[in-house]
Amino acid sequence: MPQQVIQIPRLNDYPSDFEKLFTIWNQVNDYNLDVRFDFSRCGFLRPNAVAFLGGLARLVESRMGKVVFDWSTLRESWVKTTVRQNGFAAVFGDLAAPRDGNSIPYREDRNLDMNGIMDYLTYNWIGKGWVYVSDRLRDAVAGRMWEIYSNAFEHSDTGIGVYSCGQHFPEQDTLVLSVVDFGQGIPAKIRNFVGNDPRAPGLPADACLRWAFKRGKSTCTEGVARGLGLDLLKEFVQLNGGKLEVYSNEGYVIVDKNGERYENRRISFEGTIVHITLRCDEKLYQFSDEAESSV
Amino acid sequence: MKLSIKDTIGPRCIIKEDGQKTFTEICDPLKQGETVTLDFYGVSQFATPFFNFAIGQLLNYIPETDVRSLLHYENLNETGKSVVERVIENAAKQHADKQYRDIVEEILTKQAKESD
Repeated sequence: MPQQVIQIPRLNDYPSDFEKLFTIWNQVNDYNLDVRFDFSRCGFLRPNAVAFLGGLARLVESRMGKVVFDWSTLRESWVKTTVRQNGFAAVFGDLAAPRDGNSIPYREDRNLDMNGIMDYLTYNWIGKGWVYVSDRLRDAVAGRMWEIYSNAFEHSDTGIGVYSCGQHFPEQDTLVLSVVDFGQGIPAKIRNFVGNDPRAPGLPADACLRWAFKRGKSTCTEGVARGLGLDLLKEFVQLNGGKLEVYSNEGYVIVDKNGERYENRRISFEGTIVHITLRCDEKLYQFSDEAESSV
Repeated sequence: MKLSIKDTIGPRCIIKEDGQKTFTEICDPLKQGETVTLDFYGVSQFATPFFNFAIGQLLNYIPETDVRSLLHYENLNETGKSVVERVIENAAKQHADKQYRDIVEEILTKQAKESD
């Protein structure tokens, strides 16, 4: 069986870094392919890359390939510490690297595990102590984030589950969460949904995302009104002054204090990444009845 | 009729299956004009899938005015109230739009407007 060696580059969370991830996806998007990930050129690895690479490894495995993360090639101490602390290294074979329990863990969900995911969001992510929040607000924020997982499981038709990782960056005072699925992607889902229309295959990805991000829009056919999850999430992120980015197929949307922008990117992949960056300023984490500033 | 959500569902009202369970309990009494109170004591986390199925779905069977007048909430915090309100508004709108759509037309029209 052929083995593909993938050099993991320095991976931050700019659009160009996501394009590097999608290039890697294109390199391993095959059946019966063995993959070895080499870290010798990796000087930085953000949680979006951790979640993506973890999910990608499971995707390769689900297609009868073998995956090796070659930890012996990892020399950059910041990256080494990060993947050990979040448990990613231990999940993928670095037995010398147990989690130290003081970071936001890398997480794999094959099924929609309500309590597991909500505990993760409530206690390991927003409620971990990076920012002081009341229990009530902590619960409200976790409920908003739940919508991401709920959408991923309900709409993506992911066969291998959902992968996530977060991190607190003290210098920027931001809290990040990335949730990745390798399902069909939002534009593809919409094109399939309206597949009997001859114009469906030509619907641009950015236009599909713009439609999906409008309140009340959903491809669900159960006769129950839907399509509020992304809307509530958008509102929350804008109030927080943070950033919500979604990459899905070749489509990209960013929601931040400047509004919403939709684009078609150069490189596509099958799946969806939701990447959220929240500001940790405590003034932003109060209900209107808790203080003058509010979320 | 009064229903303790904590007893029937638990402290997290977030998944559609639990919403469906609640809907099944309350739909018939509401259809018959009975007042129903949902008691959220001990429930702290909310998300739209639960309320879409528990309450939004009621609007397929019962007029919005009846849902608003017959269905009452106790111990529902502000977060929960805001989600319920959004869900009812959304369900009422989609019900009025009556499967609203030629989605393709909608997407292409919106795209044309944005690029003007």
